[in-house]
Amino acid sequence: MSNVFKYLQGDRLIWLVVFLLIGFSMLGIYSSTSTLAFRLQGGNTEYYVMKQFFYVAIGFGLMFVTHLVDYRYYSRIAQILWIASIPLLIYTMFFGTELNDANRWITIPLVGLTFQTSDLAKLALIMYLARQLSLKQDNISDFKEAFLPILLPTLLTAILIAPENLSTALIIVFTGVFVMFVGRVSLKHIALLAGSGILILSLFLTLLFVMPESALKGRTLTWKHRVESFSNPTGNADEEYQVLQSKIAIAKGGIVNLNAGGSDQKNFLPHPYSDFIYSIIIEEYGLLGGGVIVLLYLFFLYRCVRIVLKAPKAFGAFLAAGLGIALVIQAMINMAVVVNLVPVTGVTLPLVSMGGSSAIFTSIAFGIILSVSRNVELQSGEENLEMA
Amino acid sequence: MKDLFKNRRLFFQIAFVLIALAFVLRLFYVQVVDTKYVSLARNNAIKALDVYPTRGFVYDRNGELIVYNEAIYDLMVIPRQAKNVDSVKLCELLGIPLERYTERWEELKDKKKNRGYSTYKAQTFWKQVSQKDYSRLQEFLYLFPGFYGQVRTIRHYPHRVAATILGDVGEVDDKTIDASEGYYKPGDYVGKSGIEKVYEKELGGRRGKRLVFVDVHNREQGSFGDGEFDTLAISGSNVETTLNIALQEYGEALMRNKKGSIVAIEPSTGEILALVSSPGYDPNLLCGAVRGENFKKLTKDTLLPLYSRPTLATYPPGSTFKTLVALIALQEGVQDENYGYVCSGMYFFAGLALKCSHHHPPIANVIQGLQQSCNPYFWQTFRNTIENPNYKKIQDIYGKWVEYCNSFGLGVKTGIDLPSEVRGNIPSVKYFNKLYGEKGWRSSTIISLGIGQGEILVTPLQMANLYAAVANKGYWFTPHIVKKITNPVTGKNELKPFEKHITKIAPEKFTYVNEGLFSVVEAGTARSARIEGITMCGKTGTAQNPHGDDHSMFAGYAPKDNPKIAIAVIVENGGFGSTYAAPIASLMVEKYLNDTIQTKRLPIEKRIMEANLLRKYGIVDTASASNTFFAKD
Repeated sequence: MSNVFKYLQGDRLIWLVVFLLIGFSMLGIYSSTSTLAFRLQGGNTEYYVMKQFFYVAIGFGLMFVTHLVDYRYYSRIAQILWIASIPLLIYTMFFGTELNDANRWITIPLVGLTFQTSDLAKLALIMYLARQLSLKQDNISDFKEAFLPILLPTLLTAILIAPENLSTALIIVFTGVFVMFVGRVSLKHIALLAGSGILILSLFLTLLFVMPESALKGRTLTWKHRVESFSNPTGNADEEYQVLQSKIAIAKGGIVNLNAGGSDQKNFLPHPYSDFIYSIIIEEYGLLGGGVIVLLYLFFLYRCVRIVLKAPKAFGAFLAAGLGIALVIQAMINMAVVVNLVPVTGVTLPLVSMGGSSAIFTSIAFGIILSVSRNVELQSGEENLEMA
Repeated sequence: MKDLFKNRRLFFQIAFVLIALAFVLRLFYVQVVDTKYVSLARNNAIKALDVYPTRGFVYDRNGELIVYNEAIYDLMVIPRQAKNVDSVKLCELLGIPLERYTERWEELKDKKKNRGYSTYKAQTFWKQVSQKDYSRLQEFLYLFPGFYGQVRTIRHYPHRVAATILGDVGEVDDKTIDASEGYYKPGDYVGKSGIEKVYEKELGGRRGKRLVFVDVHNREQGSFGDGEFDTLAISGSNVETTLNIALQEYGEALMRNKKGSIVAIEPSTGEILALVSSPGYDPNLLCGAVRGENFKKLTKDTLLPLYSRPTLATYPPGSTFKTLVALIALQEGVQDENYGYVCSGMYFFAGLALKCSHHHPPIANVIQGLQQSCNPYFWQTFRNTIENPNYKKIQDIYGKWVEYCNSFGLGVKTGIDLPSEVRGNIPSVKYFNKLYGEKGWRSSTIISLGIGQGEILVTPLQMANLYAAVANKGYWFTPHIVKKITNPVTGKNELKPFEKHITKIAPEKFTYVNEGLFSVVEAGTARSARIEGITMCGKTGTAQNPHGDDHSMFAGYAPKDNPKIAIAVIVENGGFGSTYAAPIASLMVEKYLNDTIQTKRLPIEKRIMEANLLRKYGIVDTASASNTFFAKD
């Protein structure tokens, strides 16, 4: 063990969380892609799990590299990445690959790999926020000097993502508010932002329901249906079907269960390996298995808070806090969809859901957090040395 | 960094712990508190499929199989597999125009008409392909990917007779579905008429259930629990009828090209030996794919082949009713069997002058009265009955007279096991009170009842039943078609014994009437019904018909002592009873009792079989009309 951690530096417990989540992910994916494998891959049941394993390996490599980089370099990288993400988002909006009426994907030229630009933009924005927060820390209570330079990039990214992926945009704004909160932005300003946010959202919802359906373009109709079927479960059959089948899966799991690969619901749930993988995990491993996943994310958050408390520099603290919060919020929202606490969105369960793009960017986020933690440990090591 | 974060740390941690708690509570709720999803989980993967039982067979009284099931095929298709279908060849084999192929696909895909449409699920592309057509189609099935035949059964009637009795089987209607409390589903087949309908419960059997695993596309994946929870379909019970199918066939042959009925009953049991409704039709016309088209044709036909004349058509009984008029008079004691009457050819009464139908010697007793079918004799007899001084009012005696008639099953339903039957009409006291006022009627007002005319109406079944009761000297059993239903599981008879009805006439009163009915055939108006070696009793009738020629009637029984068969025959617009009805009855009786027709009587048989009355019914092209209702081989 100690041998392994000679190479894997930083918080060992975060590494453990990563391994456990990937473990669950592999089990869930192997089980839930079996039907798909029989349908599309002629019964080669290992096809999808191997493909995912390949992505995880790449992700792990990236995690390894990023965690070795001194986190202070990320400040500048954040700036470049964020600026670069803006034209990419605009490009995606117009030329992205369409899936369910949403242009979320672009293909990297030459390599032929597709990825979701919002994943990149989200990562870039949170890193950039950490940078801005740390730079403006001296006059953080000033509206013009501090609040606007922090808020505007958030809104810009969110607005560019919103038409294609409203839920991710909302998660970004939500995460941004959390990061600002951690970053000591004046509570007055945060309240102002929250207030206007609620106002805009309710205005938007009103518009959605007042306007005739024929006038609703693109994704707006899907949003309306999702909200409708959540608040009044008789509307859109497809959305309800997903939620219903998901709940059936949960009900079948029972409190304690060990039935790896034995899910029936994977045959009924559309895309059981991505957005709804959590329900398959509950079906196969019971409430206990589902609870372990929730605890893993909470524990991860707890470890992030520990890093924040120990981080010697504001940027490191904000970086760890922002990325940690973003990942955990995303996880919570995904699980909230599965148990039907919120309307159906399109977010994945970090490190668990199948999908290359999400696996890679999530891995990078983890790598950066680990980089901060590695630095914290080095610092405290040095302090300890000094003490001694 | 601690100071930077401290004040907001608590809020932050509480928020996330609360969110996590919300999940766990929610999960607990879905799993443990709300049981809905557990039961839904069961529905999701397991589906109950119906297993259809085979319909029970029907036998005649001699054990001859008269209704059985024949295999046909529904051509099924799984839409997503139906690619590169040689539609031209398929249409050619099905014998349908090519446009129908595309039309049929559109019908299938129309979610309004076909709610269960799924590209994964088998759809019925073409219903009821005959075994012959299917065997040809089967050879080329490889040209039509996704298509396959599913065997079903339809009824087959090898004797091609007794259509209105046996009935038919068709798709269940909405009313029956609603009334069945969920047993029937659209598309199920049930008996629609005849005994197929009356004994639907017994013939239809009980559906079974087969539990199978299905996948998300509703495709079968295998049986659930190795069939441990399946229920077997219980086949329909076999039904033994009272019919003598040979006699039935013979009767239908005799009645060909004539409208009317023959009803033959075994007096000692009430069993129906034959029940001919003419014109009939081949019951196979209403089976399988041709059903809809043929049904339309039969409904439109002016001769009403679907109309079950023996139980639904009513006629004034005419002279055949005189038997009962005489019996009531004897029972009431208003005259004895030796009551005589001199017929002058005219009957003068209450200012009326009524004619006798023919000249004959004076009547010395009831035997001669029946033998000569003398109208004045029965007017007088009826008058004697109604003017009985023992009764104060006409209402009292006439009311009693009606009860006598009712006790023979006239004016009431006989209770036969067929879906529809009418009561006929014996006018009630109330009816006459209303028509003439309470003091406005007397024997002369209703005198025509004495010879079976006026308001009296009877069905052929009631007429045969009346003579069965006379043959039995005072009782009759509820006439019935089905005598035994063998439960396939218990092997026991499911039918209750049939009710015995005692008439209001004492048995000894029948003696002279029997003699009279015997002499009618031996030497009276029904000599054309006489059969050497058989003591046949009966009475002709000629019912006046305001719409055309009189109806020819005969009702009787044989042999005189220990009667084996009671029979009523009506040939619409056939004229005198002795012209058609009496010979037809005699041929039926001879056929039933002797199984063969005497050589010297064959010319009679030939004359009857060739008699064609269709012109009288307004059919011009009589040659083709006679073949309309029978399927060609």
